[in-house]
Order: sequence, then structure tokens, then C-alpha cells
Amino acid sequence: MKQIETEILVIGGGATGTGIAWDAALRGLRVVLVEKRDLTHGTTGRYHGLLHSGGRYVVKDPHSAAECIAENRILRKTHAHCIEDTGGFFVATPEDDNDYPDQFKAACAHIGIPCEEISVAAALKREPLMNPHARRVFVVPDGAADSFQATHSTAQAARQAGAQILNYHEVVQLIVKGGEGDRRVVGARVRDVARGEDVEIRARMTINAAGAWSGVVAQTAGVRVDVIPGKGTMLAVNHRVVNTVLNRCKMPDDGDIIVPIHTVAVIGTTDERVQDPEHLTIEPWEVELLLREGDKLIPGVSRARFVRAWAGVRPLYQEHYSGASRDATRDLTLLDHKTRDGVAGFLTILGGKWTTFRLMAQVTLDKACEYLGACKPCLTAQTVVPGVEQGHYWLGHRLHEVEENHLQSELVCECELVTRAMLENAARSNPTLTLDDLRRDVRLGMGPCQGGFCTYRAAGILHEMQVNSEQLTVNSEQLEEWSVAYMQSPAHNAQSRNTQHASRITNHQSPNLLLRDFLQERWKGLLPILWGRQLKQERLDELIYLCLMNADHLPDENATSPLSDFYSRPGISATADQGGAP
Amino acid sequence: MSDLIVIGAGLCGLIAAYTAARAGKQVKIVTKGLGATHWHAGSIDVLGYYPDDATPVMRPLETLHDLTRARPQHPYAILDGTLSDALENFASLTRELGLPYAGAPNSGDNLWLPSPVGAARPTFPAPRAQLAGDLRRAAPMLIVGLRGMRDFYPELIAENLSKQGQRARAAFLPLDLITDRRDSNTAQLASALDDPTRRAKLAAALKQLAQPGERIGIPAILGMDAHAAALDDLQAQTGAAIFEIPTLPPSVPGVRLTNALRNHLRQLGVRVEINADVIGFHAEKDRVLWIESDASGRPLKHRAEKFLLATGGILGGGIDSDHTGKVWERVFDLPLAVPREREQWFRARFFDPAGHPIFRAGVPVNREFQPIDAQGARVYANVWAAGNLLAHADPILERSLEGLAIATGIAAARRAVK
Repeated sequence: MKQIETEILVIGGGATGTGIAWDAALRGLRVVLVEKRDLTHGTTGRYHGLLHSGGRYVVKDPHSAAECIAENRILRKTHAHCIEDTGGFFVATPEDDNDYPDQFKAACAHIGIPCEEISVAAALKREPLMNPHARRVFVVPDGAADSFQATHSTAQAARQAGAQILNYHEVVQLIVKGGEGDRRVVGARVRDVARGEDVEIRARMTINAAGAWSGVVAQTAGVRVDVIPGKGTMLAVNHRVVNTVLNRCKMPDDGDIIVPIHTVAVIGTTDERVQDPEHLTIEPWEVELLLREGDKLIPGVSRARFVRAWAGVRPLYQEHYSGASRDATRDLTLLDHKTRDGVAGFLTILGGKWTTFRLMAQVTLDKACEYLGACKPCLTAQTVVPGVEQGHYWLGHRLHEVEENHLQSELVCECELVTRAMLENAARSNPTLTLDDLRRDVRLGMGPCQGGFCTYRAAGILHEMQVNSEQLTVNSEQLEEWSVAYMQSPAHNAQSRNTQHASRITNHQSPNLLLRDFLQERWKGLLPILWGRQLKQERLDELIYLCLMNADHLPDENATSPLSDFYSRPGISATADQGGAP
Repeated sequence: MSDLIVIGAGLCGLIAAYTAARAGKQVKIVTKGLGATHWHAGSIDVLGYYPDDATPVMRPLETLHDLTRARPQHPYAILDGTLSDALENFASLTRELGLPYAGAPNSGDNLWLPSPVGAARPTFPAPRAQLAGDLRRAAPMLIVGLRGMRDFYPELIAENLSKQGQRARAAFLPLDLITDRRDSNTAQLASALDDPTRRAKLAAALKQLAQPGERIGIPAILGMDAHAAALDDLQAQTGAAIFEIPTLPPSVPGVRLTNALRNHLRQLGVRVEINADVIGFHAEKDRVLWIESDASGRPLKHRAEKFLLATGGILGGGIDSDHTGKVWERVFDLPLAVPREREQWFRARFFDPAGHPIFRAGVPVNREFQPIDAQGARVYANVWAAGNLLAHADPILERSLEGLAIATGIAAARRAVK
């Protein structure tokens, strides 16, 4: 069995895990991160994209709100290009409690969240679709964050500082040494999912940042961690119906926020305590509730075209808690299993939110360093990740670059303006991947046609790259590291394409499975919102993949691989089947 | 005032209008857009997979007997065995149009043609330019792509064909053989090959690539208006059998068929009013007197003795729906056969062999192709319906899209003008 020695082993490739790897590497520690699928595959890649100002929790959870505003200020510098400075409104609609706005204003002042009340007329001038019957509007420094790009950028910063990041490596078992009273986690046996081989990673400190899956990981060391998995469902409107984050000015509840992010606007969220973080179903009542609540912020938004619904699981934690997940604290919690369970060398970090991932990493490493002895202080608040020189994200950047550089003919995905070079560079850097992984990298298939055109093109392009790499003999060391900082930039990728071995790839997934699995993954998120024009669009996609391609009768149509198993699992309840997919 | 107004200009509407015009009637087409034919592969799918069990169909006209018995509500069952007549009608029409269609050498067999991903696509009559791709023939294939064309992947096609026992290899030619533009879509590339000098360059390059005995598959861009000459030139100049493989929309073979039919209708005196979305109608007792279309300035009234609805299903826009689970027919608000609850619309797998129940939603008709209500009573005395708007079939799933459009279009038009 392959063995790796390190000082710190991080489990989980979401925002928190990569943040921990980055922090550890900057402190001069040797660190290895394992993620069972691709980076951001879990909760990080399934949230609405809000960079909290703290306003949302300022009355209910002031401690958490204070953390948010502090981290908001830091991330705007360290991850500038991953953030769109949309600003946010807190809108008191006629439905909402009349006393709350004054409490809200006072609480913001107390904690130091910049909060300015503006007239409803001024708010409507900025957001014409907002409910004109709103009573009061407050402006706060909310923002929109690209959690895919931010996590990739953090991971690259970590790699540059010496961290090793292994995606598609799933923990099989934590390795525990010693007997009763003297137990210690000394690393983990992990499975390289793509190769089907096990790897043993030995570490002085193992950090469980598996989020909603933390309980499963801890259990392999005989440690009980009862995560409160709070499922949040979100809907994406096909248009940027707002350019400012709209929150209801009231205690946080279901469906009370709309976040403009990239080309869409996201209505969020519900909060349902669930049993299993892996198999999430989106219930029709959740969709109805989000539409109904969305109409209160933007009248008529329920009649807009929706392109997708999805759900993520908040890894909330409260010791001995049995209430509703909506009421569980959003505070971060660090479990030191030595003092809690008598198992040394093992920490679990839970709670928090995307906005506080850096702080969560800092708190975790501070504790780890107590045990490991001398290490440098935390540097992440003062260190920027690659790509910040681009400044904040703005919606027109891809179109601008495509037009400036005449890249129209290179577009593989017209909806999201993904060029062939962007796709190739992303594919080359990811040794093991599915089209869904490429989606998270470059937003392939995230627009109105939901993969109708680009699924075929991407499968064709990846296959061409596979064929080329059989013909070429190039050392993998000869390839430059992919600059994730610019992974979403058509112009940058067009330039780098000429200097690299443009068409080589190490991935050997069958193109037929890539195609089938991506269509299935897109289908899963479409089902809850298929009606009207999106239903018509879906029928066109059927015309393309059934009548034109006959892609449901390809060779290896029923084949499986460790990577594609995931996509054949049921994930919805809005179906004619009782049992879901096999 | 027209004898017949056909609403919709897809394959079904055009064929229905042709049928009525040939019977000597004054016909007008009122349509929102150009129909969905531009998205089709251009060949005529009649029945590729048997509904429910998804078994491949080898001889569609024979299988149809079973289908008719097992599913008496299926639109094919209402035809009373006139499908083969309809297809012969269509074949002779295409010869008149200069865009001749033909079936497999063994008459009555489905053709199995390479799809743009290299699957074997069951279809029935196909345009002449697609016939040499028949996978029942043994000759090896050379699949040629154009480097820089984003809608055609010859390596993928060749590999998948090889996996299915067809000898096939791939090659590339530069796109600038055909055009200097990099951002051309398939329709623009096809128009470029209307120019004899450009296709001579393409022919010379293909001849260099091909080995003796190979048939050559290329993306379906072989001429738009001068397609017949382009195909003849290319075969003569390369000395090889050439076949087109349809591409992602816009699909040139579908565009050619639409264009040819519209030209022909013009010669028959049929007016086609495009951009005329029907937004209202007026009925007295059981007769529709006029329909009203959206136009700049004011709604426009169209009066006719009879109306034939060929607006397509969910894809064509004849049927719409909303988030409450409401589903409606867009012109006359006709009764629909549709799953009652939204929860029953879909199955969990995109490629479920049983398909998705919502896509069987449609207008139920009697044996005269006249819309009926839930009790089986005719809704209007002078309204007929045809094509993919009809209930009780999923033409995309069973690969009957064009066959159903043609056969029911002809049948409904004949009954309407009787």
C-alpha cells in the first residue's frame, strides 16, 4: 500500500478544508488534504453564494454576525476576484413584523455592521423589480461569492505554499493507536477512488472538515459526532432579476433571500433537518414555498423562468441538540476529541458558514498548533490568494473578453460563455474528472439550456484530448500548473492555450459515460422546476439526445465506473416512480 | 376567407397545407415561427423503438399492426393503415421537390444511420445524402471533421461505430477549406458549399484522405440551395460514396426540407403568415369563426371555414404549462389528456426507457382527427388536430416524430377537406 507521511491530514475539500490546508501550509506545516470527490462537491458548491454582511443574523445570533462582518472585510481583500460587490438590501415588506426593523438597525450599529436606511423610492430606482409596497429598506455590505473559484484559488494558494491536495480520495478508516485512555488518531486509510487503490496517510494531527459528513468520518475512530444536517433548498431564476442581494428584514426564515450570482438570481432557502446528507430530495412543497416567499420580495418572480433547483446540507452543530435545524446556532464549533472523547491527534470543525471559512481554519490551526508545538502565527488574513489582481468580479467580464479577443467561434457553451480553451485547460489540470467537475470549474452547462448543446461538445472535446494524449508522449512534469486564478477568464485561457500542450489529458473516462452522467446530473436539478419554457427547453434537449444522437443507445450505455455511480442515485421525489432510479 | 387555415408551420402543418391545397382548397398557414423541423435530423423517423418496452423496431410498418392493437388510442392506430400511403405520398412529393428521400434497400426495413455521437439511429426514409451511411452495409467508413467546427467530433463517431462492429476511422480537414470565418454555424457552412469552387477544394482534399472502398461521412453541410448538385459533384470528384451525418441544431437537412416545402407551397398559392402568434379566437355554438393573431398595432383576424391545428406539443409550443401544474392547449384551450399531478410528470432517470409521462400529454381526437373532450364528444365541428400535438404518444421517445407528423397531417387534412 502506498504510504504518505505528513504533519497534518485534512479531511474534506470544501471551503473549510481547503482553508485549513492553506492556513497550515502558510504556518510552515506539512499538510495533505483528501476529498472524496472533487473540490467543492459538497455543501460549498451547493449554496446560494451569499457573502454575509452579518445582517442576516444580527438580531438572532449577534456573535455569528460579528464574525461575518469581520470576515467579510478580510475576504474582500484576500479573495477579491471571487466576490461581486453587489451590496445588500434588508427589505421590510407589509408582511413583516413592524418592530423588527428598529431592532435590526440598533443591532447593526451595536456590532458595527455598516447599515444605512434609504427611501423605498431610492431602493426601487436601484432595483425596479423589488416589491413597491416595501415599508423600509436598509443597505448593508452583503456580496455575492463564487465558492467554486474561491475554493480553487485557496487550494492553489495552499499548493503553492507546499500543501498536497488529493481529490477523489475517500476516507475508509481513521487509524487509531493505543488502548483505553490513551487512544490517538495517527492518520487514515483512504481510497483512491479512480484507481481503486488504498493509500495510508500518517499524520501527527488529523482534522475532520468533512462538514455534514463529519459524523461518518469520526465514527470510523469510534468517536460520536452528532451533526445537525440542515438541508437548504434553492431555486435559480434564469435572469438576474436583481443586482443587489435582497433579504427580508425579519428573523431568518424560509425563502427570505434572493442572491444575484453570475448569470442567475438564487432564491433561498429552506431549512429542514435531514437524516442523510448524501441523498437529498427536493420536495414540491419546498419549491412552492420558495416561489410564494420570493413573490413577496419580487412580485411575480414565481412566473419567471427557472433553470434549476438544488439542495445543500449545513453542517450545524450543537452539543445535545434535538430542535429544528433552523434554530440551531450558526456558530462555528471546534471539537477537540482529546478533551471531549479521550482520543488525541484528532479535531473536528463544524458549524459556521462559507463567509467564516477562513476564521474556522484559523481557530482549528491555533488548536492544532497547541499540540504540535512551535508553528508560525496565522497568516491567512494578510495573505492574498492567486488572482486578486483581477479585482472584484463583474457580470460582463466573460462577454467583454470574448468580444475583445474575437473568441466567439471558440464558445463551447454559449449560455455561460465557456471557450474551448477554458474547458481544455480545466480538464488538463484535473487528473480525474467528470463533466460535472468541469461545470464547477468553468460553469459549463449552468445556463438556460442546462447542457443541451455543450454536453455533446464537451464529451467530443475531451475524447479528442484523450486520443491526442495516446499519440503524444509528454511528461506530466512538462505541463505548467493550471492557473486556477484565471480559470473563468476566456482571454487568459486563449493566451495560455498557445504555450501549452493544448490537447493533452490524462483522464480516460469513457466519453459516453461522461455524456450520460452529465445529462443525468442536469436532469436531477431540473425536475423540481420543469414547467413552461424550461419544460419546452428540456424537450429540445430530448430531441437532441434521443432523436438526433440516439445517445440512449450508445455502446457502454449500462456501464458504470466509480465516478459515475454517484450520478445514477436518486435525488428527487417529484417523479412518477415510487422507488426512484436504480 | 380561406377554406382552411392551418395553424403551425412545422412538418405536419406544411404537409397538411400541401394536402389540402392539392385537393383544390384555398389554404393559409398562420404560424408563430418556422416550426421545429430546423432542429430535426432531416430523415423521417417512423418507429424506432416500441413504446413501453423500448425494443428496437426492425420493420416499422409491420410492427405497427401490433402497436395498433395494443394501443388503440395511439395516433398511428387512428390512421386505419394509411401510414404506408402517406409515406409514399411524401416520397413522391420529395422527388417533385428535388430533395428525394428513400428507404433501406430491403424495402420495409428501418435504416440504421450513424448519429453525430456514433450511435446507430433507426429511421425510415432518409434524404439521398444520408443513405450511404446505412450501417447494414459492410463498406468501411472514413468520418471527416473540420478542425475548429464545434458541432462535429469525428474521432468520437468513429470510435463508437467501431465498438458496434462498423469499421470506421476519423480524419480532419481545416475549416478554411470552406470558409474564412471562424464563427460560422452549420447553416452558414452549408451555404458556403453552394459555391462549386469551394466544394471542389473540399472534394480534392477528401480524395487525398480516402482509401479505395471507403465511404466518407461528413457533417451535414453539403450545400443549402444547391444541395443536389453539391452531393453529385462531391461523389463524382472523389469517386467515393459520400454521406452526411446530421449535426446539432440548426440541422441543415431539416432546414432544406422546410425550405423546399415552403417554396412548393408558395407555388400552390398557399400563404404562410409567419410571426403570427394566435392569441384569441371566436366560436359560435360548435363552430370556430375566426382566430386572432398578434401583430404590430392591433390583433389581426383570420376567418376560415375550417381550422387545422398543427402547433406541435410541448416542444413546438402548442402546449404550455406553469408551476401550479396547470397544462393547456394554447390556441383553442382544448381538453388535454395529461397526468393529473405534477408529481407524476417525470421519471428519475433522464434516459428512462419508459420516457416521461408529461411528454405524452396532448389533444385527444376521434377517428376523424377532431378534438374531443373527456366524454368523447367532439369539441368543435370545424376544427381538426394533427402531429405532435396529439395525445397518447411520445414521438421523441419512440422515434416516430416525423412519421407521425406526416401521416396524421395528411390524414387530418384529407378529412377536413372531404
